[in-house]
Amino acid sequence: MDELEAIKVTFFQECEELLADLEGGLLAMEEGAGDLETVNAVFRAVHSIKGGAGAFGLEPLVRFAHVFETLLDAVRSGAVPNTVELAAVLLRASDILADHVSAARGLGDVDMGASAAMAAELETWTDPNASPAAAAPVAVEDAAPAPAPVVDADDAIDDDGLGFVFVPQTISVEAQAADTDLIPANVWTVSIRPKSDLYRKANETALLLRELNRLGPITATLDDSAMPPLEELDPEAAYVTWSVRLETEDDETAIREVFEFVDGDCELEITRGEAPIAAVLTSLLTVAEAPAIVEPPAELAPVEIAALAPVAEITPVAPAAKPAAPAAPTPKATQVEVPGPGQSVIRVDPERIDRLIDLVGELVINQAMLAQRVGEYGIAPSSNLAMGLDELEQLTREIQDSVMAIRAQPVKSVFQRMPRLVREVANMTGKQARLVMDGENTEVDKTVIERLSDPITHMLRNAIDHGLENPEERKAAGKNPEGVVRLAALHRSGRIVIEVSDDGKGINRERVLSIAVKKGLIAPDLQLTDEEIDNLIFLPGFSTADKISDVSGRGVGMDVVKRSVQALGGRISITSRPGQGSTFTLSLPLTLAVLDGMVVDVAGETLVVPLAAIVESLRPKPEEVRPLGPVGSVLAVRDSFVPLIDVGRTLGYRDTSPHPCEGVVLLVEGEDGSRAALVADAIHGQRQVVIKSLEQNYQQVEGVAAATILGDGRVALILDVDATINLRRREGGAPRPTEPTLIAAE
Amino acid sequence: MPQASTISVLVVDDQLTMRALIRNALQQIGFKDIREAPDGEEALKNLLAKPANLVISDFNMPKMDGLALLRAVRSHPPIRQTAFVMLTGRADRELVQRAVQFGVNNYCVKPFTVQGLREKIEQVFGQLT
Repeated sequence: MDELEAIKVTFFQECEELLADLEGGLLAMEEGAGDLETVNAVFRAVHSIKGGAGAFGLEPLVRFAHVFETLLDAVRSGAVPNTVELAAVLLRASDILADHVSAARGLGDVDMGASAAMAAELETWTDPNASPAAAAPVAVEDAAPAPAPVVDADDAIDDDGLGFVFVPQTISVEAQAADTDLIPANVWTVSIRPKSDLYRKANETALLLRELNRLGPITATLDDSAMPPLEELDPEAAYVTWSVRLETEDDETAIREVFEFVDGDCELEITRGEAPIAAVLTSLLTVAEAPAIVEPPAELAPVEIAALAPVAEITPVAPAAKPAAPAAPTPKATQVEVPGPGQSVIRVDPERIDRLIDLVGELVINQAMLAQRVGEYGIAPSSNLAMGLDELEQLTREIQDSVMAIRAQPVKSVFQRMPRLVREVANMTGKQARLVMDGENTEVDKTVIERLSDPITHMLRNAIDHGLENPEERKAAGKNPEGVVRLAALHRSGRIVIEVSDDGKGINRERVLSIAVKKGLIAPDLQLTDEEIDNLIFLPGFSTADKISDVSGRGVGMDVVKRSVQALGGRISITSRPGQGSTFTLSLPLTLAVLDGMVVDVAGETLVVPLAAIVESLRPKPEEVRPLGPVGSVLAVRDSFVPLIDVGRTLGYRDTSPHPCEGVVLLVEGEDGSRAALVADAIHGQRQVVIKSLEQNYQQVEGVAAATILGDGRVALILDVDATINLRRREGGAPRPTEPTLIAAE
Repeated sequence: MPQASTISVLVVDDQLTMRALIRNALQQIGFKDIREAPDGEEALKNLLAKPANLVISDFNMPKMDGLALLRAVRSHPPIRQTAFVMLTGRADRELVQRAVQFGVNNYCVKPFTVQGLREKIEQVFGQLT
C-alpha cells in the first residue's frame, strides 16, 4: 500500500505538469495557434490525468476528465471546430479540472454545481443536439470490420465493454528465444570507411577484416556507391565503405583495438545491434508507404510517417549511411522536440539538492578559513601552497555556481498559475483583461521562486482591480475595451526583476494624497514628488478601494506585500502615468543562499553589509559632519546631507559613538531609495558569504538580516540596511513615507 | 509453464505514474526484469539494444505512439517475436482493431487490476508461475 501511496504522490506531481501543459496549450489555442500538435498535446494531458485518476479510483475527477476528453477528442478529429470561443470554454473547464485534482489531493473543494454545469456545457459542444444520431467521432459502427481471426466463441474475450471478438495471440518464450537465436543479441555493426592515407601507409582493409574475424563470425558488405565513373576515378583516393556484421562475446573496446593502428586513417563507427536505427526506420517507412503489406487506414498513413520522420532526422547517421536516409516528408519535423539519445531528465528529491547546497556552503566557509590561516602564517602569495589555495577558491566558486544552477528554476512554474488568476479577477470585477507574459524562462533559485507567487498575485490583482478601467470607461477613453496586463521577468544586475504593468488609468494622485492625509499617514503640508505620492500606496493602513472588494482587499494591503518582499532582500516600487497605466517593479536577489557582502569591524565585532545596498565608502572630513538635533548628525555628501548612523549604537555594541572621522563611512541606500551613512571602524573587504538564517537558528533580531560564518570560524551578523535606517528614523523625528534627502539650502 | 521472473518486460508509457503503476502490478505478479521507456522512440532504441520478451505499451504517447511502436517491432526481425500488449481506454475499440491488424498479442483496458493484467499476460504466455 505504501508503494501505491508513493505512486499517488508522483501522480499528483505529474498532474501539476499536465495541468500546466493543458493550460499552455489552451492559451495557444485561444490565441488562434491551435495546430493539430497542440490539440493532441492538450488531449493527451487530459487523457493522462483521467488515466491516472482511474487507476486510483478518483471517481469525480475521472467523470469530469472523461467529458472533457470526449470533447477534446472531437476537436482532434475535426468533428468540433477549433475556435477561439471553444478555447475560452476549455480554459474554464481546465480550471475546474484543476479544482478536481486539488480536491482529489485533499486540498480544497470543488464547486460541484459549477462542475456539473461545465460538464453539461462541454457536452453540448460535443453534441449540440444531444441526439444519439449526431456524428460522434468515436462511433465505430462505420469502421471497417476488424480482420479478427476466426475462433470459437468460447475462447473469445469480450469482458472489456469493447464489444467485439478478440483472440489473444499466444506466444511462447521459447519461440522468442529460438527467433532471437537466429540473430544473437551480441551483434555489432562496424562501419569502416578508409581514407586514402590508410592505403598510403601500406595498411589494408583485408587485414582489418581478418582481425575482426578473430573476434567472431563476420559478414562484410562493400558499399561502393561513392565510386565515381572510371574516367573521374583518382587511383590514389579511397571511395568504399565496408559494413561488417560481427557476432562476438567481446566488448566494444576489443573491436576498437583492431583499429588501433589505423586510428585517424579511417572513419569508424561501431554500433551495437543489427544496424543503425536509421536503417530500421527506413525499412519502416517503406512499410508504411507500401499499403500492400500492412494496409493502414489510408487517411492515417501520412500522419504516422510525419511522426516517424523526425526520428530519422535526428538519429546520428554515419556519413556512409547518409544516402540511405529517407527523404521522407517531414512537414512537422521542426515542431517536434526530440531530445538526443541519452538526454533524459532525472528526478531528484529537492532535499538532496538542499543538502548539497548546504555542504557547498560549508565548503566555501572552510576554504575561506584555510585562506585566512595561510595568510596568518605569513606564507608568500607566490608559494605553491598559496597558489593551490587560489585554485581551490576558484573551483569552490565554480562548484557553488553549478550547484546553485541545479536548483535554479524558470519562473514559468509561478507564471503559469497567473492566467487563471487574471481570468478569475477579471470576471469578478467585470473587467476585460488579457495577460501577456514575458521572460518565463528567466531562472532564479528555487528558494526565491517559492516566494514570488504571493507578491505577483497581489500585484496582478491590484493591476486589474485598481489599474484597469471598466470596458465602458476604456471605450470612452478611446482604448480597447480589453485591458492588457503584462507580467515580465528579467535579470538585471544580479537580481531578478518582476514587472507587472497595466494600460489602465494610472494612479489618481490627488485621491491617494487626500486619503493619506485623511488617514493621518502624512502631514497635510508635506511636499511630495509624483513618484513619492505613487509609492504612498505601500504605506501601512492605506487602501484606495472605495469598497473592500473580494479581489484586492483580502485583508492584505500592499504594505504587507512590501514588507514580505523586503524581508527577502527585495524592493518593490510603482511608477504611474495618468491615463496610460502603472508599472509595479519587484526586484529580488537571485538566491537566498549566498550574498555578496562587505565585511566591516564595528566596536570589535565583525559585521557584513550587503554589497547591493552600498553606494560608496568614504572617509569623512571633520567639516563634512554636522550635528542635527540633540544626538543626531548628518554627513554632507557632495550636494546633499545624509543621516549618519552608528551601527555600533543601533545594535547596542556601544553607548557613545566615536567621531565618524576616525572610522570609515559606508554610504548605503535602502530599498525605498533613502540613503544613510553607516559608521564603521574598519573595512576588511568584500566577500561572498553563506547566509544562515537567524530565525531558523535563533530568533529574529531587528536590524539584523541573517548571520554567516567567517573564515576564522566566528559568527558574523549580516546587517539589515533597511531596518537600520528605519530604526534611526524612529529615534530621529516623525515618520515619513520616504526619507527625502535634505537638500543643502543654507 | 513459464516463470514470470524469467520474462523480461519493457513498459512504455509517457506518464511516470502509469509506468510506476504497471511496474508495481508486474512486480506483484512476479516479474523481476522490468524496464521502462517514456515513448515509442525510446522503447524501440531500448529493444534494439537489448530485446525483451514482452512489451506493455500505452497507445497515446508523444513522438511515436503505441501503434507505431507495434509496427516498428513487428517489422524488425530481431525483435519481431516480442509479445506486445497494448493498453487502451474503454472507448478505443477502433484502436484495438488496428492493433490487431499490426499483430498485437493482447490488449488491456485501463484502469486495470493486477489480476486483470495477469490474465491478459497469461493469455499470451500461458499460466505464469
